[in-house]
Amino acid sequence: MLATGPHPPPVDTLMLVETPEGIDLPLRPAGLVPRALAFTVDLAIRGVVLLLLALLLHPQGDMGVGALLLAIFLVNGWYMVLFEVLHQGRTPGKQLLGLRVVLDDGTPIGWSASLLRNLLRAADMLPLGYALGITSSLLHPAFKRVGDLAAGTLVVYQDAPPPVLRWPEVAPAPAPFALAASEQRALLELVQRQANLAPARVEELAALLAPALGVPAQQAMARINGIARAWVGPA
Amino acid sequence: MQLDRARVTIRPRSPWEALDLGCRLAARHRRLLALAWLALTVPVFSLISLLCWNAPTLALLLFWWGKPLYERLALHILAQALFDHPPSIGQALRAWPGLLRRQWLASLTWRRASLMRSFDLPVTQLEGQAGRARQQRLGLLHREDGRAARWLTVVGAYVETCLVLGAVSLLLLMVPRSAGDSWHWAQWLLGPPIPGRLWLQHLANAFYVLVLAVWGPIYVACGFTLYLNRRTHLEAWDIELVLRALCQRLAPLVVLGLLLAFMLTPPPALAADAAPAEQPRVSVSTAHQAIEALLQRPPFENIETRARWHWRRGDPSPAPAAAPAPHAAANPSEGLARAAEILLWAALAGCLAWLGWHHRLRARQWAARLARRRTPPHQALPPLFAQDLAPERLPMDVAGHAEQLWASDPRQALALLYRGLLSRLVHDYKLPLRAADTEAQVLAKVAALQLRGLDDFSQKLTWHWQAIAYGHRVPPAGTCEALCRGWRRLFPLQGASQ
Repeated sequence: MLATGPHPPPVDTLMLVETPEGIDLPLRPAGLVPRALAFTVDLAIRGVVLLLLALLLHPQGDMGVGALLLAIFLVNGWYMVLFEVLHQGRTPGKQLLGLRVVLDDGTPIGWSASLLRNLLRAADMLPLGYALGITSSLLHPAFKRVGDLAAGTLVVYQDAPPPVLRWPEVAPAPAPFALAASEQRALLELVQRQANLAPARVEELAALLAPALGVPAQQAMARINGIARAWVGPA
Repeated sequence: MQLDRARVTIRPRSPWEALDLGCRLAARHRRLLALAWLALTVPVFSLISLLCWNAPTLALLLFWWGKPLYERLALHILAQALFDHPPSIGQALRAWPGLLRRQWLASLTWRRASLMRSFDLPVTQLEGQAGRARQQRLGLLHREDGRAARWLTVVGAYVETCLVLGAVSLLLLMVPRSAGDSWHWAQWLLGPPIPGRLWLQHLANAFYVLVLAVWGPIYVACGFTLYLNRRTHLEAWDIELVLRALCQRLAPLVVLGLLLAFMLTPPPALAADAAPAEQPRVSVSTAHQAIEALLQRPPFENIETRARWHWRRGDPSPAPAAAPAPHAAANPSEGLARAAEILLWAALAGCLAWLGWHHRLRARQWAARLARRRTPPHQALPPLFAQDLAPERLPMDVAGHAEQLWASDPRQALALLYRGLLSRLVHDYKLPLRAADTEAQVLAKVAALQLRGLDDFSQKLTWHWQAIAYGHRVPPAGTCEALCRGWRRLFPLQGASQ
């Protein structure tokens, strides 16, 4: 389906990455709000760790203070990098919000990219409290901050594990006409989601197909359930 | 509502993704939204500032309090743009007073503190719900996406603060230190307000107006897409879209099916027959044409225009310009240019030649240094050491001199013999001695030559020399004769050997 006419293509947040086999993998870049929250969680974790260390080390005299300074450097400088590289692109904050960092082509992030994107936090913080990073992320189509632009990385939503599907226990019925893949998917979605929709709305949706199915509007949903059952099989 | 005309992709998303979609939606109409927002807020802000010139904080508070009213304008534009063409700025501004009529008091008073303002706005403004019905509707909508709506407002408050303070501190960072400490940004940020600088406070307020023109529409758009997403989940808009398209596709089929069903034939089989009949037959030539046309389109025919800098000389394209050369020669300006070119090249060559002449001495030094570096370093002895061991510095008849010295000063005699030996080793045997070598190291190198007589003599001489040099022990009588005999045997005089 080509978008013709004066309208630009509809607004969407998906980024399609084409594999050599010609398959489009959709990546879902994450925007400002979840990323800001993930950063806040990470900041809080680091703050608590450093506070505990300070309480422990500060009374130990000069050596304790030295060790504390080293710990501050290690925690602030390496927390993000180590988690991102060794934990599939997820810091604890990102994991909580369901985010992960990947390279622009969807491959896992490596040392150089992670170091670069986290070193450039210094630039994103300018002049105050991540003002540059916020501006950049609001303006960029994939919500990248300066560090992401330089390192070629992308913060995306993790794919949720596929839900357990339950199909209605009805007798299978054949579809009376040929259906494209997207149309089959829509019918299966309707069968799956009918429990979450208002009953009147389910009937209304099913009634759209009633003339084509050749049944009264009240029985259309039962018929669609049967068709879905036939597609899914006896399992 | 005609979903198929929506200018956003409709599919069920997570609440966070719905917020991101709002960001993109606002970006699509960025110019229109910001200009309309500014056209509304700048007069309001100017008026408030003039009225409260002596209380900039109060002016900011009043302006901030009116945010729900400005947001209605942004939502009006976004809602129109979602299904239709967006309105012009003038149309939007004219529609604005009408938008305010509904529940403006509530949004400015008890609903002003609500953290879900932008999420609730579509229910009030677009659905026109009020009272109990509105409460029920909101309860249903909040059940899933309320959390994201709340966080949106919290993050938005941070974004506004951060961008305004960032802009002001950036400005103050540019003020030179010579202007005084009272201009330091930290002073402005953390210290008490300075009485004479009211205008600076108002300037900061103006920055807030600008920041809000960017963030305000995004905030409204995020709430709007969150609302759309919740309704997509609740009403399965994505499924409705596909089903409607399917109905349209099947419409002619349905008529046929009904007709045949009337003739008491089982519908499924008929539909199966009818489906292939729908497709027109394609001849080979039309198929070829269709394929060719398809191959000319973007995914296959991908023409990119790139502009980059490159050298003119290497470019083949000026070649046709060079072809009419005789014609160009007739042109007087062409000849002038050629002459200037020759002059310039000559000037360059002259410059290079003058540079070479001027620096010829330095060039010679360089050449000498390079030549010196090429000779292997271990063959060159340090100057002092080399002088001591030079054969010219030693008497012709070393042994005879030593015998004469022995009577008065045995130490000098042995020193002469030892120096003579080292000199011979360096010059006759080409032993690579260094100034830092000890006597034992010299002996080891002599031993490596595997010359028995020389080795024996060297050992004896070295032993006696060390005894007198370091131990001050005078060698026994007869030593001198033995050593001199050994010397003469090893190094016979030039005249005597002949």
